[in-house]
Amino acid sequence: MTPKKFLVVDDSTTMRRIVANSLKAIGYTDFVEAGDGREALTKLDTDTAINFIITDWNMPEVSGLELVRSIRSHDKYNKLPILMVTTRGLKEDILEALQAKVNNYVVKPFTPQILREKIDQILASI
Amino acid sequence: MESKNSMENVFSKLGDLKQFFVFGQKIVPVIQKIIDFMSDVVPLLETVNNSIQDSTSKIPKASTQINSVTSANEIATSEILDIIDSMFVDLSTIKAGLEELKNDQNSEKIKTLNEVVEKIEMDSSRITISLQVQDITAQQLASVNHLIDSVQNKLSSLLFDLGKQQDRPIPTFDANTITEQDSDYAFSDGTFNENARYDRSTEKQELVDTLVLENTKTSQEEIDKLFAK
Repeated sequence: MTPKKFLVVDDSTTMRRIVANSLKAIGYTDFVEAGDGREALTKLDTDTAINFIITDWNMPEVSGLELVRSIRSHDKYNKLPILMVTTRGLKEDILEALQAKVNNYVVKPFTPQILREKIDQILASI
Repeated sequence: MESKNSMENVFSKLGDLKQFFVFGQKIVPVIQKIIDFMSDVVPLLETVNNSIQDSTSKIPKASTQINSVTSANEIATSEILDIIDSMFVDLSTIKAGLEELKNDQNSEKIKTLNEVVEKIEMDSSRITISLQVQDITAQQLASVNHLIDSVQNKLSSLLFDLGKQQDRPIPTFDANTITEQDSDYAFSDGTFNENARYDRSTEKQELVDTLVLENTKTSQEEIDKLFAK
């Protein structure tokens, strides 16, 4: 599978820019952004080209974890690859995210290389 | 005989009365000490009360200042990212120009210059990675703000119980005083990670990788079991 379009979800504009810049640095140029889980769900409904999600955990309205659960319970989107990029690095957090069925997990601060490695791992596994 | 009994009764009552006065004599200094203690402690309690009210009135300002710090940091980070983006564009132009200038005589020099350009690109990328500190510190500050808000509510409740609110209004945190930019960091639960740390070590990511691998293995085992049936 080749990612056509990424959806970058983070309430911090700085982090959205950093993730977007990192994606550009590793060769992915097509992406849209959302400031929280609710906006992300709206974007998913309106933009059918999105086929890869990179999401933060701690966000207002709908958190990243709620977003993952919502996507996984949705017939139309439940196969979408999801990479969680977050400051939460405790074992219980990681296990909770994996239980919610994120495909992979990156702890901030991250490098573009780590991002590429995790995206590649996800793409290879689906 | 009857009058003898009555007299004994009167003497018994007088004995009780005597004991009461003896006890009174003993208890009076203790009561006096309590009165003295109360007169010392009441002004002290008044001072504590005023101090709590004074601190409570300053808390909303502290919250607003923390939000201002977060906003200022985000603006500055955004400006740095703008400059880095612009630098990348300039570096691409330089690289293209160097490629055009390349010929047999200067190929070594051009190669050196290209290496310098690549080093600047790498350094710029490293700056971008370090700028993630803004998001991490914003979450730490949001956590502090959340704590301040809890203290504010406790103190307001304490002041209410002390009846002080009748004399002067108790300042409370007013969400309307937060600017639109500040509101990004309004400290509701779940919008921040109180354990957020700027840690460049690979320890946490290694833990993630181990758990992801274990999870994948478990999932594969479950699939294998399912097909074995």
